[in-house]
Amino acid sequence: MGKGKPHIANTIRVLRFNAGEMTQAELAEKVGVTRQTIVAIEQGRYSPSLEVAFRIADAFKKPLAEVFTWESEK
Amino acid sequence: MTFKEWTAVTQIVGVIIVGLWLWRDVGTDPAAFATVNGAASRLVWLVAIAIAFNIAAIIVVTILVSIARGRELKDEPADERDDWVAARASRNGYVVTSLAAAVALVMLAFGTDPVLAAFALFGAPMLGGATDAVSRLVYYRIG
Repeated sequence: MGKGKPHIANTIRVLRFNAGEMTQAELAEKVGVTRQTIVAIEQGRYSPSLEVAFRIADAFKKPLAEVFTWESEK
Repeated sequence: MTFKEWTAVTQIVGVIIVGLWLWRDVGTDPAAFATVNGAASRLVWLVAIAIAFNIAAIIVVTILVSIARGRELKDEPADERDDWVAARASRNGYVVTSLAAAVALVMLAFGTDPVLAAFALFGAPMLGGATDAVSRLVYYRIG
């Protein structure tokens, strides 16, 4: 978690836009984390726990794989 | 910056001020630091001053930042990232504290002036606290 270069990409910015320009604060409220944590996840500076990842996906009513994708190192 | 980051900044400033205070104290009244008893009693007072400064400083910073922003600076409940940052910052702080305390013991073991060992014992948690605070800022900013 957060160690080395992150390889987990996410589409949170796009999903927020598609959800009527949902704010980071609104998403944070739904997920149950701070706005700063959403900012860090969105910018790829922090990889969330599996539970928070599922909560984010649930906030957009999307499957996890549509929100987070693994980028291989090669 | 969040309340937690401001707390870290305040802690760093506190360590710097206490360090300068000690520097000035040693410079102006070296006789008070000539014996282990004298030095230790001054250092104990400095610990109390450091604690009081940190409490007062975070209150003042909270008020000033709240006025500047036009809304209250509040500490949000910690989430998993806060716990992650705190765990790593604490680990760094413990490592530095342990090393500095070990240096104090080694100094005593090699027969160095015990007054210097007292300074090292005082500096160990100060350095550890500063390391913890700097680490928190770095982890919050860079990740």
